[in-house]
Amino acid sequence: MSDAAGLGDVAAADMGVTPGLGAGGGAGAARPGRETFRLFVRNKAAVVGVLMLAGVVFMTVAGPRLYDQDPKDIVARPLIGPGELTEARLGTDYLGRDVLAGVINGGATSLTVAAMAAAMVLVIGIGIGAVAGYYGGWTDSALMRFTEFFQVLPALLFAMVVVALFEPSMWTISFAIGVVAWPGIARITRAEFLRLKNLEFVRAARAVGATDWRIIRKVVFPNALPPLIVSATLIMGTAILFEAGLAFLGLGDPNTTSWGLMIGLNRGNFLTAWWSVTFPGLAIFFTVLSFSLIGDGLQDAYNPKLRGR
Amino acid sequence: MKKWRLLVAVLAVFALVAAACSSDDDDDGAAPAPTAAPDTDDMTDDDMADVDDDMATDDDDMADDDMADGGDDDMADDDMAAAHSLCNDGANVGGTLIIGSTQVPRHLNGTVQSGYATAVPGTQLNASPLLYDDEYNPMPYLAESWEVADDGLSVTLHLVEDAVFHDGMPITSADVAFSVLTAQAHHPFKPMFAPVTGVDTPDEHTAVINLSQPHPAILLAMSPGLLPVIPKHIFDDGQELPTHPRNTEDFVGSGPFRLVEYEAGTIIRMERFDDFFIEGAPCLDEIVMQIIPDATNIVLGLENGEIDLSVTLGPSANILRLMDNENVTVNSDGHEAIGQIQWLEMNTDDPALSDKRVRQAIAYAIDRDFMIDALDQGLTIPATSGIVTASPFHDSTVNPYDRDVDRATALLAEAGYGPGELELTIDYIPPTQVIYAEYVVQALEDVGINVELSVSPDFPTWAGRIAGRDYQMTINNVWNWGDPVIGVHRTYLSDNIDKGIWTNNTGYSNAEVDRILAEAGQELDAGRRAALYGEFQQIVSDEVPIYYLTTPQFWQAYNPRVQNPPTNTIWGMMSPMHEVWLDQ
Repeated sequence: MSDAAGLGDVAAADMGVTPGLGAGGGAGAARPGRETFRLFVRNKAAVVGVLMLAGVVFMTVAGPRLYDQDPKDIVARPLIGPGELTEARLGTDYLGRDVLAGVINGGATSLTVAAMAAAMVLVIGIGIGAVAGYYGGWTDSALMRFTEFFQVLPALLFAMVVVALFEPSMWTISFAIGVVAWPGIARITRAEFLRLKNLEFVRAARAVGATDWRIIRKVVFPNALPPLIVSATLIMGTAILFEAGLAFLGLGDPNTTSWGLMIGLNRGNFLTAWWSVTFPGLAIFFTVLSFSLIGDGLQDAYNPKLRGR
Repeated sequence: MKKWRLLVAVLAVFALVAAACSSDDDDDGAAPAPTAAPDTDDMTDDDMADVDDDMATDDDDMADDDMADGGDDDMADDDMAAAHSLCNDGANVGGTLIIGSTQVPRHLNGTVQSGYATAVPGTQLNASPLLYDDEYNPMPYLAESWEVADDGLSVTLHLVEDAVFHDGMPITSADVAFSVLTAQAHHPFKPMFAPVTGVDTPDEHTAVINLSQPHPAILLAMSPGLLPVIPKHIFDDGQELPTHPRNTEDFVGSGPFRLVEYEAGTIIRMERFDDFFIEGAPCLDEIVMQIIPDATNIVLGLENGEIDLSVTLGPSANILRLMDNENVTVNSDGHEAIGQIQWLEMNTDDPALSDKRVRQAIAYAIDRDFMIDALDQGLTIPATSGIVTASPFHDSTVNPYDRDVDRATALLAEAGYGPGELELTIDYIPPTQVIYAEYVVQALEDVGINVELSVSPDFPTWAGRIAGRDYQMTINNVWNWGDPVIGVHRTYLSDNIDKGIWTNNTGYSNAEVDRILAEAGQELDAGRRAALYGEFQQIVSDEVPIYYLTTPQFWQAYNPRVQNPPTNTIWGMMSPMHEVWLDQ
């Protein structure tokens, strides 16, 4: 099975180590991890999402080995349609590069940027959200005002400013996306911590003398995970869209190949060479859709109210 | 507590706004002053341009010949008379012409701002002393006649007597003098009026421009796009001209149309000026310029008839698509004087690029024909020197550096670089020039030079880098502007190094070139001048601080109902459209 389902499984197992998520535990309460997995697999849309993502990952990892064509090489005359050339089955772009090679190799950049951005979002968001939610009081106020500051920034505009200030590269683009996308995660984490921190099992842990750090890490955090995993999945999708959006606006790094950049650079020829933007566009579409479907599937699977159906 | 939170929130918002504003300023500051705007010198949206076969074969007599022709206004007057009757014939009057443009003007005052974006609306709003026909012949406009002194040291303009500004005040020689001196002080093209020592105004309708040396380009500098006549009584109020509020607000001009609506980056609406000094003109009731950032939308607008006229059409594929459309007329007539050149510029102070052999190797590595044939789809023509092919001063015997990979590799080896040992970066004007930069990366890879693209997120960043010489190679797009004195000298003179973008940004310095250009700049005899420019082109071609790629053309697309579009000139749409009419 795919990574995403495995991730869900692990998270659900974690959830099993501490008792009492409260509300209506159903038939599988004894082995919630397995139950979550069962619910997820029963959700056809989610399985389709997993298969799509697996396909994209396979294309990105194995594609360049199976189809050995440098996406930057000029292989034929520019703007030749799909099916007309054996060396560029999906046509050529404005420079005469192979669109198929671009789609295959562009995924690595898009997915790497998305993963790095998502990792950054999770680290900042969970860190700030957990501290704010757990300690409350002025710490909470200060951190939440800080969060709101970033929340009210128009995300794409701010990301553009960040990328424009530094040179557009994979690192700055990931950084820019990470910097603008974390407030959502911080707020979800804080909400979960606020809800959980006064529940009995947390008090119990405190009563037996566990340190704050241990309680946050071992007791509260695992129980706050399900909604975070769902959000993280969706953030992967958002990050890919952001990367594409920045590249579309001319803030991509043309030294690397990415789907968004292909669309951005080729959009001037959109009226006459649909293939040069459509295929990378479809790649983005399926990748983002797969993350979205997986996210929805996970959310349903974690939702206790749907258990035992 | 709540109040405190509110305060923090408000402060945060202010901080944010302040940060946003100040970073804007920094951007502008980084780019060297007025010449840094995208519309300043050369329209950056170079894609629009491309080839005209006429251009290669055109045998234009250049401006200098016309110095002597000052008196031949009788014929021109007849042309004007024809224009009058054109508009007076009722069927040809009225209607709104909608122009689509991707270019955002900084403001509308062409005496202090060069470039297409300002000149297209600017030439509707302001009249100039002279017009030009399509063979570089000056024609009367605000000046009904003119004489150049035999020694070439003064030009006398005789203005039409009944001309008034849009506020009803008469246009006098004092306004012409004020406009010339303003342009001399503030226009980015310094050489245009540099030799002017003063302007005498013996009477209200006579202006005498005095020169310190013969200046072959002076009459061309009287063109609509280069010397709009602005009202002294409005602008001579002690405020700095480049930032004068009246450059856009309550605009008072001397041209055939008056400004009724101006929204920066959105729309410029101009209405017929009823008291225009040419009887019966203009034909149109109104010209509306719509600023549309994406050329694709302009193409669609032309196709479905929402836009009547545009020259900012985007990549070659769009132009070819419009050519196939029966409801759109596409041609590149009337822009001969602009002389656009797309080139690869090298920083001659760079350790590797200071070696002439390396620069020559780079030139030999690039396949100009592939760029024209494949990337521009045949819509551009080759450029082999700093003076465009259509100019009478072009030297067709210079080494074109046609692709020769072996020779390039040999030159690199001679300079001490084996395959893969030389690493360079290349800049380009974002976003449209990336295609040429990407091609150069590929081409140089074939001779073993590794090139990385250096990305500028926006135009001011690029301009700042190039003007600050923080680059190794860059694609650039520079215009000849009709006469070498105006558009060519600036790139090669050693006393013009790093004076802003589109000056001498390669650091190229050659005393012999300086001497030849100084001499050619005051030579009135066209034959001798051509010989001097030939010598200049040979030297520069050998030292190749710049490898010339292509001459893009200005393709204009218009609805067939547009009659008499400005194609019978050398300045294209940078010309007044008082004779344009719509076949309803």
